[in-house]
Amino acid sequence: MADRSATAGIEKAGDDRMIVADDVVKSFGHFQALKGVSMALNKAETVVIVGPSGSGKSTFIRTINRLERHDAGRIFVDGIELTDDIRNIAQIRSEIGMVFQSFNLFPHLTVLQNIGLAPRNVRRWPKKKAEEKVMQLLERVGIPEQAHKYPAELSGGQQQRVAIARALAMEPKIMLFDEPTSALDPEMIKEVLDVIEELAESGMTMIVVSHEIGFARHVADRVMLFDDGLLIEEAPPNRFFDDPQHERTKRFLSQIL
Amino acid sequence: MSGAGPKGPRLGLGLSEDVDLLRFEQQAREAEAAPGPAPATPGEWIRQNLFSGPVNALLTLASGTFVLFVAYQILSFVFVSAQWEVVQVGMRGYMIGGFPVDEAWRVWASAYLVIVLAGLSYGVSARRLRPSAGQAAVGAVIVAVAGAIVFFTAQTALVRALTAGVAPAVFAGALVGRLLGRKILKPLVVAWVLVFPAIMIVVRGFDGVPPSEWEGFFFNIIAATVGIVASFPLGLLLALGRRSELPAVRVASVGFIELFRGVPLVAWLIFSKFVVDLVLPPQMVIPDIVKAFVAMTFFSAAYVGEIVRGGLQGVPAGQYEAARALGLSTTRMMALIVLPQALRSTIPAMISHFISLFKDTSLFVAIEVTDLLAAARRSASSLQYFGRDMETLLFAGLIFWAVAFSMSRWSQRLEVRLGVGRR
Ligand SMILES: Nc1ncnc2c1ncn2[C@@H]1O[C@H](COP(=O)(O)OP(=O)(O)OP(=O)(O)O)[C@@H](O)[C@H]1O
Ligand SMILES: [Mg+2]
Repeated sequence: MADRSATAGIEKAGDDRMIVADDVVKSFGHFQALKGVSMALNKAETVVIVGPSGSGKSTFIRTINRLERHDAGRIFVDGIELTDDIRNIAQIRSEIGMVFQSFNLFPHLTVLQNIGLAPRNVRRWPKKKAEEKVMQLLERVGIPEQAHKYPAELSGGQQQRVAIARALAMEPKIMLFDEPTSALDPEMIKEVLDVIEELAESGMTMIVVSHEIGFARHVADRVMLFDDGLLIEEAPPNRFFDDPQHERTKRFLSQIL
Repeated sequence: MSGAGPKGPRLGLGLSEDVDLLRFEQQAREAEAAPGPAPATPGEWIRQNLFSGPVNALLTLASGTFVLFVAYQILSFVFVSAQWEVVQVGMRGYMIGGFPVDEAWRVWASAYLVIVLAGLSYGVSARRLRPSAGQAAVGAVIVAVAGAIVFFTAQTALVRALTAGVAPAVFAGALVGRLLGRKILKPLVVAWVLVFPAIMIVVRGFDGVPPSEWEGFFFNIIAATVGIVASFPLGLLLALGRRSELPAVRVASVGFIELFRGVPLVAWLIFSKFVVDLVLPPQMVIPDIVKAFVAMTFFSAAYVGEIVRGGLQGVPAGQYEAARALGLSTTRMMALIVLPQALRSTIPAMISHFISLFKDTSLFVAIEVTDLLAAARRSASSLQYFGRDMETLLFAGLIFWAVAFSMSRWSQRLEVRLGVGRR
């Protein structure tokens, strides 16, 4: 269970907690989407978040790279506290890669340009170095032959793999996935999950919002249930799925299993 | 059903980079051709589309008769009763008005600069797009009409030679462009950026001709170019300003847009004398025409701003989020991700606005500029050619139309090239 001591000693050197969230609150107008979420994520750990629609899963992972600004509580990424300071935000974003449900590829750019954009313009790599990196990443996600196509010319599964490669191009320490397969046709889900699994095995630190139970069992180190803006339960996958402690977890699992 | 459906694309030089565009073009063509099976013969087409029922047949006959009647009237005027001498005599006035004849070489030099650049650009892009049979036919008609006009109106052998030289210049440019290909793309872009300042130097520099003497069609072109080139970036800033997080910037942008859009251009042209003087120190003397250029630029920028705002609204929030998540700064996000998408969807509206602006340059007559239209009207009020308004207006109209139509065609090419509508 997460507790209020999650942030204790975070500034100490040698700490291997990559993400620490302490009592994070986020409201949209009068509606509280996050009502105080605390959790910590260790280096090379993979956490899968599940929970009913509207429970705040997306909102939570979006606060971690400042696509949403949290109203209260504290967030640390790799020891840096996320504040309004834009230098902090830029630094933290450069350490986090994010993959969206709807891919959000840049439709006016080729696959090569989509992936090479950030290395070229944020890291300021020379063209040649960036292109080598792109090809290496495309190799890794299994579609090296698609480099010169536009996103609209690819299948959903291929697009999502390009999106993963694009996020990896910045060489992030942490990857966030927001329902990466829920916009995909069933036959394409596996090819994307395989890439994510390979990443997990390579030691990437990851948070994956996903309802793919088989994947969660297989890949997650811990599974978390969000409900109504709160982190209700967290446990290793076997215990989470086979022996849930909370009533709400049992109810949620009975609905999706 | 023989040979129905779209034909396969012709591969320019069979280059690999052609494939992308052609595939895209073909999709567009297929989409166009999609509704309904194509009829087998022209006769069948006529039956299906024009005589599908008694009402339809009646309408076809009535409108057909009307169209034939109008066409007959116009053609008989153009080829029988019109007296084109007035155009022949007024030609130089239409083109450059009171621009000093001794300095006319400056206009020619400018024109050739643009023509050669246009030829080069066409050559570079024609590697991918070959004219179809239809385009070639239209091109032939244009050359024939233009040739006839030049032949009948040119006053001196030199003018005739220079005008006739346009075609070889374009052709030579296109040929060179085709040979050099995309290598010269960057220098070409730079050249297009520099061509207007260069023209200003050619026209004004070395004891040249001041703006107050720019007249005729030359004036229309210069005014439209100034308006387009200057109002585009300003309009971009206005559109971005409207979405700024700073309330002051937002209010200022909205205020600017509403103010300049809300008053007729003619009124702004007349006001400009006083308005520009208000914001400038009194010792700065600026020609009235230049002030009017500023007014026109502001007026046009208001429209450009609104067009771009529409384009910005079409860019999904996910694009901003993806750019931010990658760590792009706001400036880079706008320049590399948002604006390219926003602008490409605004091409039709933008070109439409610029065509309007081009035609509206004839409103400068309100501040006593003799543009093409004014010159045409004036030549029909001279004692010798009194009452020949039909001829002069037809001619001026033809010129305006030719330029507007070229802009429209160019925008369509641009849309295909940039894949407007591709998502
Ligand atoms: N920008 C916003 N403005 C207003 N309300 C929002 C906004 N974003 C999210 N919300 C609300 O916050 C709540 C949590 O949303 P969130 O997207 O985090 O849920 P989720 O758990 O990801 O759900 P799903 O499984 O449907 O993606 C929802 O009730 C949603 O309506
Ligand atoms: Mg969500």
